[in-house]
Parts: sequence; structure tokens; C-alpha cells
Amino acid sequence: MKYLEDNSLIFSRYDLFREQKEERTHRFSHDALLQEVAEHVIHGDDEKIITIVDQALEYKRPEEVIREGLIPGMDEVSRLWGEGIYFLPQVVLSADAMLEGITRCEEKMGRPMEKKGKVITHTAEGDIHDIGQLIVNALLRAAGYEVINLGVDVPVDLVVRSCQQHRPILLGGTALMTTTMTAFPRIAARLKHLNLQIPFVCGGGAVNEDFTAGFDLGIWGKEASWAVGIAEDALQGMTWSQIREKWNG
Amino acid sequence: MQLSKTMAYARAEEMMFGTCLYPVTTRRGMCLGGGEVIPEIVVHPRAGSEKSLKTLLREFERGYNDALERCVSIGHPHVCLEIEHVAQMTQKTEWGEDVAAQTVSLMDRYEERYGIVSGCRFTIADLRKPDMVHMRDSDRSQRVLEAIAACARHADMVAIESIGGKEIFDHAIIRNDVTGLLFAQAVLGGRDMQWLWPQIVAIAERHNCLPSGDTSCAHANTAMFMAGGYHGREIPHTLAAISRAISVSNTLVAYECGATGPGKNCAYENPIIKAITGVPVSCEGKSSACAHSDFCGNAIAAVCDLWSNEAVEYHSMFGGTTAAVFTEMLGYDTALMNTAINLGYEKELQACMVNSDRYRDPQSYILCPDIAWEIGKVVVEHHQSLYSRARAAALKCGELIFGDDKLQLTTYEHDALRHYMADLEKLPADEGNFIDLCLERYARIHGFRRESYGL
Amino acid sequence: MPGYMGFVESLTACNVGGEMDEIGVAVDIGTSGIRAQAVDLTSGAVLSTSISLAHPLPGANVVDHLHFALEAGVTVATRMLRTAVNRVVEGLKVPVIAIRRLAVCGNTVQLSLLQGIEVRDLAYTGARKLATLGVVKPDRRGVSIQAGILQGLELNETCQVLIPPAVCHTIGADALAMVLQSGILQEQQTALITDYGTNAEMALYHNGRIITASAAAGPAIEGQQISCGMLAAPGAVTDLQLMRNLQYRLLVLDEQMQVVQGPVVDLERASLVSSNNAQVKGITGTGVVAALCEGIQAGLIELPCIQTPDACLHLGRKLSLTEEDLQEAGKAFGAIRAGHVTLCHEAGIGYGDIHVVYMAGAAGTYVDPVKAMFMGWVPAYTKKIVQVGNTSLKMARHLVMDPAQLDVMQRLADRIRPDHYVLAASDTFKKMYMLELAYWTEGMPMTSYRTMLTRYGVKAFPETVSAPEILQAGAIGDLGNPGVQELSVVSDPGEILLLSIEGCTACSGCVDACPQSALELSFKENRPVVQLYHSRCAGVSCKRCEHVCPEKVMVLSDFFMIR
Repeated sequence: MKYLEDNSLIFSRYDLFREQKEERTHRFSHDALLQEVAEHVIHGDDEKIITIVDQALEYKRPEEVIREGLIPGMDEVSRLWGEGIYFLPQVVLSADAMLEGITRCEEKMGRPMEKKGKVITHTAEGDIHDIGQLIVNALLRAAGYEVINLGVDVPVDLVVRSCQQHRPILLGGTALMTTTMTAFPRIAARLKHLNLQIPFVCGGGAVNEDFTAGFDLGIWGKEASWAVGIAEDALQGMTWSQIREKWNG
Repeated sequence: MQLSKTMAYARAEEMMFGTCLYPVTTRRGMCLGGGEVIPEIVVHPRAGSEKSLKTLLREFERGYNDALERCVSIGHPHVCLEIEHVAQMTQKTEWGEDVAAQTVSLMDRYEERYGIVSGCRFTIADLRKPDMVHMRDSDRSQRVLEAIAACARHADMVAIESIGGKEIFDHAIIRNDVTGLLFAQAVLGGRDMQWLWPQIVAIAERHNCLPSGDTSCAHANTAMFMAGGYHGREIPHTLAAISRAISVSNTLVAYECGATGPGKNCAYENPIIKAITGVPVSCEGKSSACAHSDFCGNAIAAVCDLWSNEAVEYHSMFGGTTAAVFTEMLGYDTALMNTAINLGYEKELQACMVNSDRYRDPQSYILCPDIAWEIGKVVVEHHQSLYSRARAAALKCGELIFGDDKLQLTTYEHDALRHYMADLEKLPADEGNFIDLCLERYARIHGFRRESYGL
Repeated sequence: MPGYMGFVESLTACNVGGEMDEIGVAVDIGTSGIRAQAVDLTSGAVLSTSISLAHPLPGANVVDHLHFALEAGVTVATRMLRTAVNRVVEGLKVPVIAIRRLAVCGNTVQLSLLQGIEVRDLAYTGARKLATLGVVKPDRRGVSIQAGILQGLELNETCQVLIPPAVCHTIGADALAMVLQSGILQEQQTALITDYGTNAEMALYHNGRIITASAAAGPAIEGQQISCGMLAAPGAVTDLQLMRNLQYRLLVLDEQMQVVQGPVVDLERASLVSSNNAQVKGITGTGVVAALCEGIQAGLIELPCIQTPDACLHLGRKLSLTEEDLQEAGKAFGAIRAGHVTLCHEAGIGYGDIHVVYMAGAAGTYVDPVKAMFMGWVPAYTKKIVQVGNTSLKMARHLVMDPAQLDVMQRLADRIRPDHYVLAASDTFKKMYMLELAYWTEGMPMTSYRTMLTRYGVKAFPETVSAPEILQAGAIGDLGNPGVQELSVVSDPGEILLLSIEGCTACSGCVDACPQSALELSFKENRPVVQLYHSRCAGVSCKRCEHVCPEKVMVLSDFFMIR
């Protein structure tokens, strides 16, 4: 029997195509070490990544390690998350690993890498429940933002002063207890008084949409996973009221 | 029971659509496998029509009337009607018999009116659910045999899709357990058929009806369905291919017990069966897309004697009812094949069919006539037991898939197949030892009872 | 001997005389209501029982109550609470003159408010904020004082009032009661006890060590923050019984708070399969557990989605659980499991090593333990489950009979304090809670969950679940024997305040917006007057009335500025 040399006009092997594509998407750098850097980010290995980044830094510029290793790794994690293959805890591990790597590279550069924009986050005065804040910090950093983390139990004064000093594109606050969330409208009022029109995203167990609708600048952050989307909008120059309209109500 | 020791066809090149070594003739003198491919239409009643005998009879009458009507309106010379029982037709013997009688009188009417010669096959529902009843000793086993007898009184052919070993198969397939597949299909399925088929043959012969054949629908087609298309990853396609190779061991039992063919349409293993036995076979490919998808839409027709559509539910379409539409398509397909035969272009057409699908997927590859013959060859060489010939078929199947560079595998499929081959290599050569191993491993699987298989 | 023991007076020294025997009153102040029992101090028999169906302060949880106290002033809150206690005690129908002793039990917030001491340390957990405010934490040791000191309590001046100690803001006398009264300290093997509530207090008893913690589960545990949720009250769905495929009989509370058979529903459809006379108003925490458990087992829930045509689990024509409800409940259940895993990690054992689990609190007592286990309230590897009922009222009864129990409680508090674990500050808890969030709200599969456990260095869960033995220690209801008299029910123990608001146009927007029906509008001399029922109000965390007011003249806290 005669057999065709080339079957490509008869049928298309989409299974092979897909696998090759997946293989290509799993290849982040032609450099073996940078590839390994990316893989360690994907696996969220914040201990081993230091060793690998250090090895890579011996013959690569820190900018290259960031651009060709750390960031592609994190981009892949975002993709996996978006496709429902990865979940939040894995994303946070990866973000931590990437940050370890970036810190190492920044040390080598002698200056911080350029970020998309600054975001300040805090847990309300009197409150120490910061799980939401930790997730938001990880996601924002993973997306390339500089996060100024004021920590927990942060006095209103300190939040306002930090905003004055850093002029962030976005302010985030979380509160689990209704007793402590009252700090948010006070912060918003002070910011308005200083004419700092910073969108102020409030989240956490106690906070609901009615509450944040009650004061200017306030935006309800229902899910930690909204953080990056809202930050992108703020970066594009949307005002607090535009952001509120888009994400709330 | 004697297991096949020789190949009916000495060479794969001798196998051709429309012709087999041992043609059979129906009551009305229609020859199957005697130089012509014949369409075999299967119409399925709509859900709800089985509520009463009256509605069911009406549904079948409409369906097969439409099929015959389309044949005579466009000129198909022959047609075979296959009726697959819904459970009620086997449960209530008289329902099955009434449908059979009605169909036969419909065929007679058309023959009388238009001179069209048709045949009919009745496929009984295997009611014996292994996890519910004793396969050999239960009311349901009796019911199945009674239904066969009732239909054999009227039909040209009777068939069954036996389901022995299904309980272990279902357990094994989702676990990627090739050992379990061997046990379920070859050892259990094969033993069940060795019990069932001599009885079917005796009943059919008593009524001058053809005991046609069986299929591994419950096993290998389940695997094929789970494997899905290129993007399906429920199970590897190579596992579905291995399950198909294994299925030869049990499907073959029907013919070893006296079944005459034609082999059941949904038995995709039929090219291998034909190579070993020389009986006529019915096949389905692109024509069965109404029921399920496969990778061998054209290639599976390469050695068929009947060309079928698996089953299409009775509905209206723009061009008529599904019964009419599918009969038309099957008839034109067979007309093309018969034209090729009569012009002497059959080799060329067969080459086209094979080339169309050979390298689409491992599942289509192993059913191409030359590969099918090779698998058949190791089956007859390892005739010591149902198990040994199934294992040999599985190993050969893997070897052939790996052996052709043109058959490209994804890494995922490649790794999976290597893993199955390693598992297969490790298994004992002797069936007794294998059964001991399996009884220990699967004895506690829900619904499994060894007595059902005489173990 | 602790100093307060000096106050413990000899009973014989203050004989009342007359025909009435000496009577003690045991009071349990819970977040959702107050319960009291009169006890014959000679025989120990319960004479009568009185309960309130609500808490007098606005709000649905302790933080709301604190919030109210901060806005209205602690003295106001204290007075309202004492008034409510008076009304419940009144319902006991025993002469005040005969009450020689009153013992209370409850969580730290309630007892501090009753006692009228500092509560700001409970309202804020951050040390920095407390330092700025100059808050000095009271020591909250157990005290025995004379009723006269607690102004506003309608008792004899000399009536002895016993207020038990607290370990910290979350582990109060109610948690001590739970540990003492449940019998967990008699266990030979590792045991865990949890009070299933908004703040799930938990204690792990392992090798003689008692490690406590509290997980901020949130009000969903008790049926709140669920779209059709409600606290346990007449008309609340508490459980579901499988009838046949996807059809379930609802079990509901009747007017007497007894569980009765309700209608049969189809989880996929907003219709009744068959109905009966039972009134169905909402679903309570245990009902949510049952509905979600059945939903998962029937394959209608594939976390985080509900796979019905309209993505709701239906419980008849009006009630349904949405995917948001599922996530709210999941976050609450997840906090409890995360807390349990963290405690085990802290004790150096695995989550699968817990032999026996005690379930306390109303939800813990009335929930079907098998369903609760399936939903993660209890480790699925437990060999024995004991449902212990409300131990707080039982503890109060013991205290009132035997004031020396105050010392026992104090010693326990001192023993627990160094081993109290603050989950909010625990890295393990944060990781575990994040994992639970992913499980419930993102649908992270259990296989990934297990992998992450390993990554976090937390001991793996066992592979197979167990079928535990189940004991109902609180089987006769958490009131114990209610006494010979009929149960008194104070439906509204709170205050009602009328305000004529300047600028109000009587649009009734606030009345309509109130989710608790706590507001009423009327006219007095042709001027609109708004009336607030404090005990119904959801408190300052809600304030929907303020948000909807078109004139911006409605100010909820104005209604709190009483006298």
C-alpha cells in the first residue's frame, strides 16, 4: 500500500500542537539557570531561589535575572491562577519567592527596581487581623507594584502622614472588627482635607459596601483578589468615584 | 474450548471490504461478505416511546419504514436493519418478539412491493449487571436467553453486547490499571462469553437464524469514549488502544463458540477479528458520528462487509427523519465502495481510506488492516489461554505503536504507553498465576463475585 | 487563698426567714440572649427558668455590643444589660427577697459590661491603639461582691453576686465553663472542645496541657450573614432529612423551640414537594451545615459553585442558599478548621491525632454531628464525638450552689493563661486560613490542599476518615431540667427609644431599609417620630438607615444617647 509522506493536508495533530505550545510556554529563558529561576518562582520555593539567583547573578546582570527569570515565572503563576490550576495559597508562595529574588537583585543593583506604582496598605488601628492584607500585598507585589506595608494596628495619623509622604496611587485598609473600621472614614476625611484624592480600598470581615459608600474616597474591596485590578485602574488614572462605580454597586 | 490457532487470512493484503472468506446468507438470500458492502442502519426509539408496547411498535415501524422508503426512493439495492433492544424489549420477551415480527413483515411488504431484498439483525440487551446479579444463575440470565429465542424465530441474525467483567473494567479504567483491564476483559469477559455463546448458537441454529457476533462495547468502546478527542485527557489514547487490542481475546470467543458473523457494527476490533476468523464484519466510522466520535472515520471501512451508523435517535431533520437520512448516507458510502470493487479500484480506495486516518491517533493506527493482521497473528500464536493471547495482543499493540516513526505521540502519550508496557512485561506468563494475583487484588471490588465467571 | 474569698459569706449568716427557702439564681448572658434559672439552694433543684429571645444591646455579636458601648458609653450599656437581667430574673417568679445569691456566666464582654469595668481592651486588639488611649487592662479575676455595688440590679443589697474570671478577651468564663463542665479534663487521650459560635473558642487537651485559642469564625456559624439566615428561633430550619433523590424534609423549630417536621423540598427547585403546618422563616447555622452537606453529597455543590440551574440550593418557595452564602459559610467553617489544625500544630501533633471531640454551644449541640464532621467542624478522623450542650448555664448553677467553684475556675484560668494562643498573630493560622479560603471560595481540590500542608510543614491529614461514636451529653436540651413552672420568655429585653428628628420628612426610607425591622415611624402632634427597638437593631456595623436617609438627618447613634 502507498503511504503519504506528509499528512498535513489530511489532518492536523492538535494534540501535538498543544503539547509543543505548552512546552514553549514552559520555556521562559534559553539560559538554563534563568529557566531554573523561573521554575523556582512557579514552585514558590523561597529558600532555594536565593541560591539559584545568586548563581545566576555571577554571570548575568540583575536586570536580566528579573526580566528573564523572576517576572516570566510570576507571569506564568498568574496564568495558572487565571486558568484555575493554581490557587491563592500557591500564588502567595510564588510571590514570596519572587520577592526574595528581587530583593537579592536589588541589592546587587544598589537601587530598587522600577515599579509600576506605589500602594500603601495597613490594618486598621486597634486591629491585628491582617490575613487579607498579606494576600493583597503579595498579589500587588507580584503584579509589579511597590507596596508600602504599614503593618497592623496603624494609627490614623501614621496612615495619613505616609500618604502625604509617598503619594501612593492607592491606599488599602483592612479591618475584621466593626469597632476598628471606624478609623477608615476618619482617614478618608483627613486625606480629603489635605486634598489627597487617593482611592481608599477598604476590606476585611467587618467592612461592607454600605459602610464604604458612606464616605468619600471609600471603595469596597470585597475580595483580596480584586487588588490588582483596582490598582491597574488607579494607575490608568481613574478617580476614586470612577473606581467605586466600576467595582461596587 | 479450542482457542484459535491460525490466521484465516495468510496476508493482510488479501483483506478487502465487501469480501470475506466465509460469507453468510440470510433467510431472504442476501449474501453478506460475498463481494458487496451492505449498509446496516440502526434507529433508536426516542426516550419515552418505551412506555408502552404500542408506542414502541409505532416508533420502530416509523423508523424502519422511513429507512426502507429512502432505499427505494434513491435506489439502494440492499439494506440491513439492525434493532438494538431497549431494556424493556428483553425484559418482556413478547415486546421483543412483537417488534421482530413487525419488522420482518415490513421487510416482506417492501420486498413484495419494490423487490428490495433486506435483512435484519436483533441485538438483545444484556440485562445481567455484574454488580447486581449472578451472571450465570439469575432471572436476568434466563430472560436474556428467552429474548434471544423469541427474536431468533423471526430475525435473520441475533447478536448481543455482552458485559461480563464490566465491574472490574470500570474500576480499572479510571485508575490507569492495565492489569485490571486484562483481567476484566480477557479473563472475565472471555469466560462469560464462553458460557453464554454456546447457548446463543444453539438457540439460533434451532430457529434457522444466524448467531452473528458480539462486541467489546462495554469495555474498549468505553475506553475510546473516555479517551475522547485530541484535547481529551480523561485517559490516555494509548490506554484506549491497548484496551482495543485486549478486546480481541474476548470478542473472538463468540466465533470460537460457533458465531458465524457478521461481527457487530460497534466492535471496532472487527478488522482483527476478520483477519483471524475470515467471517464477515460490520463496521462504523464517520457514519457513527451521530452516536460517538472516533479517529478512524474512513480507515475502519477498509475491510468492512456491512457499513453501519451505530445508532441514531429517531428525529426529524431538514432532509427527512434521521432514519431516512442516515440510510441515504450509508447507502451512498457503500455504493462508492461497490463501485470501486466493480471498477477494480478497490485497492486504491482502500489505500485512500487507510491513509486518511492511519496516523491520526494510535487508536486508528492499530485498526489499519496490516497492523490489525499483525496483532491477530500474536493472538493466535499465544493460544494457551484467553489471558495469554490478550496480553500478547496488548504488548504487540504497544510495540507497533512505538515502532512506526510516522505515528507521532505526545510526550504524555509516550510516557503513559511506556508505563503500561512495563506493567504488562512484569505480569506472569501463565493464566492461573495471573488469576491468583487478580483475585487477591480485585476480590473486594464492589460488585465483583468470582462465581459469576466460574472462578 | 485569693483575696476575693474573703467576701464569700456563710449562708447561714444571712437567713431570710419566712416560708420561702433560700434561692439562688444562675444567669447565663449570651450574645443572643439571657437565660436564668432559680435554684433551691438547699436541694439544688431547679425551680423555674426564664429566657430572653434577644440581647438588649444593638448588634448581633460581641464586637457590635462593644461598638455600641463605645458609642453610647459603657455606663449606658451596663445599665441596659442590668435592666435586661432584671427582667429575665423577674420572669423566674421568685420573690427578690428570697434570692440570696446570683451567679453569672458568659463571655468576657458580657460579664465586663455587667460588672461595668473597662471594655476598651476588648474592643481593640492592637497594643499600639490601647497604649494611645491609655487603657489599663483590668485583671478580670473572679469576684464575689454584694449586689448593692452593681447599681441598677434589682436584688437585695446584700445578695451575693458571683462573677467568674476570664483568661483574656476571647477566653472568658463561658470557655472555662466549657472546659470544666464538659468532662474533657477526664479524657485519657487527646481531646478537643469547641464552642461553635461567632468567636469559636477552642481548647486542645493533650498530655496534660490545655492550649486554648479562639477563631473569629464570624456570625455565619449561627446563621447570620446568610441571605435567608436567622438565629435559632421559631421558624428556623435546623436540619434536613433525605427522603428520596434530591428531596428533603426540613426540620424546623416550632413556637416552643421544639424540632418538628416541616415541608418536603427539592433542593433544585423553588417549590414545595409537600407542605404541612410548620412555619418556615429562615435557616439557622445548623440548617446551613445540613443543607450544604446534603448539597455536596447530592453532587449539587462543586466548590465554590452551586450546580443548580439558578445556582441556588432551594429550601422551599422562599428560602434558598446562594453561592455567596456558601462562601460566607465556608469562610466561617474554614476558620474553625484552620484553628483546629493550628492548635494541633502548636501541640506538636497531627490533626488526625485528636481522639475525641467535644462540641459545645447551641450550634455545636443541635447540629447533626455527622454532617458537621463532613463540613469540617470536627476532624474527620475523630473516634468519638460528645455534644455537651450549653455549659455556661450549667456552670452558673454549680457556682450558685457552691461558691468555691469560683476558686476552681480561677485556678483553671491561671493554668490556661500561659498556654493561650493568639491565632490572629500566628503564621500557621494565617497560612491555614488562606488554604481554607482557597478550598471554600476558589474550589482548591483536597489534593492540592494536602500538598500545601506539606509545604507549610504541617503534619499530613490521615488518608481515611473514621465513623465516630457519638454521645449526646446535652441531650435533654441545654436548659437541663427547666423546673416545675412554665418557661418564662421575655421577647424583648431591650429599650425602645422614640426620637423626633429635626428635618425628617417621614419618607420611611430608614424603616424600609432596616433588615431587622427595628424601626417604626409614627406621628406625634403631626410631627414624625422614629422609634428604635434596641434589641432588634443590628448595631453600628449596619447603619443602613443612615445610608438611605435622603435628608442625611438620621443618625443611629442619636438613638443610643439615652438619659
